[in-house]
Amino acid sequence: MLHIEGLRKAYGDVVALRGVDLDVAPGEIVSLLGPNGAGKTTLVSIVAGLRRTDAGIVEVDGIDARERSVEVRRRIGLAPQDLGIYPVVSVRRNLLLFGRLVGLGQRELRSRIEEVAEALGITGLLDRQGGTLSGGQKRRLHTAIALLNRPPLLLLDEATTGADVETRAQILELVRGLAADGSAVLYSTHYLQEVEDLSASVVLLDEGRVIARGGVKELIAAHADPVVELTFDGEVPPVAASGGATVEGRRLRLATTDPASTLTAVLPQLPPGSLDSVEIVRPSLEAVYLALTGRRYQEADQEAEHVSPS
Amino acid sequence: MSPRASAAIIRHEFRVMFSDPSTLVFLLFMPLLMVALMRQLFAGALAAEGFPGANGSEFAVPGMAVAFAAFSVSYAGFTFFRDHGWGTWDRLRAAPLSSVELIAGKVVPTVAVTVAQLALLFLLGGPLFGFRVAGSVFAIGLVVVVLALSLSAFGMAVTALARTMQQLNAIGTVGGFGMAMLGGAWVPVSAMPGWAQAVAPAMPTYWAMKAFRAVVLDGGGVPDVVVPVLVMAGFGVAFTLLAAAKFRLEDSKAYYG
Ligand SMILES: Nc1ncnc2c1ncn2[C@@H]1O[C@H](COP(=O)(O)OP(=O)(O)OP(=O)(O)O)[C@@H](O)[C@H]1O
Ligand SMILES: [Mg+2]
Repeated sequence: MLHIEGLRKAYGDVVALRGVDLDVAPGEIVSLLGPNGAGKTTLVSIVAGLRRTDAGIVEVDGIDARERSVEVRRRIGLAPQDLGIYPVVSVRRNLLLFGRLVGLGQRELRSRIEEVAEALGITGLLDRQGGTLSGGQKRRLHTAIALLNRPPLLLLDEATTGADVETRAQILELVRGLAADGSAVLYSTHYLQEVEDLSASVVLLDEGRVIARGGVKELIAAHADPVVELTFDGEVPPVAASGGATVEGRRLRLATTDPASTLTAVLPQLPPGSLDSVEIVRPSLEAVYLALTGRRYQEADQEAEHVSPS
Repeated sequence: MSPRASAAIIRHEFRVMFSDPSTLVFLLFMPLLMVALMRQLFAGALAAEGFPGANGSEFAVPGMAVAFAAFSVSYAGFTFFRDHGWGTWDRLRAAPLSSVELIAGKVVPTVAVTVAQLALLFLLGGPLFGFRVAGSVFAIGLVVVVLALSLSAFGMAVTALARTMQQLNAIGTVGGFGMAMLGGAWVPVSAMPGWAQAVAPAMPTYWAMKAFRAVVLDGGGVPDVVVPVLVMAGFGVAFTLLAAAKFRLEDSKAYYG
């Protein structure tokens, strides 16, 4: 449904995408992961026709997104990262406008509004002004707008930002349902747990490049051993350890297949009182990220409003 | 292209506009107040020019109509900045409509507001201030529409050039006010200093005032406004070309710089 090849994009001197290849098949959920500034929003915006490309191919349903932008947009539902709703008109009016813009006729539009409102739990809010909604309610409306045209390709850019547990669960459920009905979904997020919950395939973007892709399980198996992470009060003391050891600031990381015996081996070597804390990072997407970039996801992502809870 | 998408945006724009009518009210009622205050001043001036029966509204009504229509140029830009501020600009752009349909949807309401503003002043001028048109009312209508188009094109050019709301306000207000002032909407051109008289014809507002005068005071008809209308249309085309050359749909517009 979505085919991207060799996609490049720079904003002046800032290179946002350095040759990205990406495919999303009908019924597939691909989650786009990567730290702040990795290029996720740029990628999604280009697909939706909001930004020009410098080079590369972008096709939706076999249609060139640059040449036949309107036809491509007809097949896309986009919920941008930044909220986009009209605060001064009602929720229903918001949906009516965007429903008309995707070409729905009066009767169809009315029933479609009921459906998307139902799916996102905003039926009771239809007559409220957009601006009077809570943050999470606004996010639901914002996402609902993207669904009006039953998009064969759904682009969700951090759709669960600011959402509570229930809203998040609802949005994930919705995404799964849409994919089951055959939509292709490109889902950018900072919550690694969500990706595991969606059992989506992963595309990991870093500094405008795809650094890994595949199913969650395969990626973990291929890239991630558990990591023992020791944080010290002062400088990291010299430690003899088998396997990979990396030092970053006051932190020592030991990749190992057997965290318990690694710890038993290392702890006696440490000067008394030097150790501040110990953590075992279980293999998860986070460990994959760490293995590939040498950085913890949260650190790469320090400026994110919402840090991955996993 | 189909007009359906534009129509949907136009309807929506009006709804948004009327959700906070304070600006509209200001643009409609301030000129009425100004006419009431300034009319007497111009009665004498017109008498001296050979219109002894004039009550001053013959100048004040068209003058204030043009002056406040020129103020409203930043309103055209404001409707764009508003969408950027709400994050809805990208949503509109992501919808399956062409950029022409989108721009038309945004511009038509502004033109309509300017036409309504001008028309209302002319219509209320009679009952409120004894304003009478000696010539063709149709010619007045023609001038009103072409002036509104030309000012909206100016508004679009300013919008295209302004990156922040402050710039829009600065260029829009100063440009609009200056254009009205120098065009002879506040003070008759004949009463302006020589240098100002020299630059006046460079303002579209000058041609609007000239046309209104020809119809209202001199009893003219459509043939008497053809030249001013063509000049205003020329300004409109020039502003439109400038706007088209400088406007980038993907440019971001900020409230603050
Ligand atoms: N309009 C712009 N002008 C200049 N640079 C930009 C612009 N938009 C994005 N960038 C830069 O392009 C790079 C990629 O940004 P992008 O928004 O695509 O990242 P992201 O992966 O979505 O990040 P986040 O997780 O913070 O949303 C960053 O370095 C960013 O600073
Ligand atoms: Mg982003």
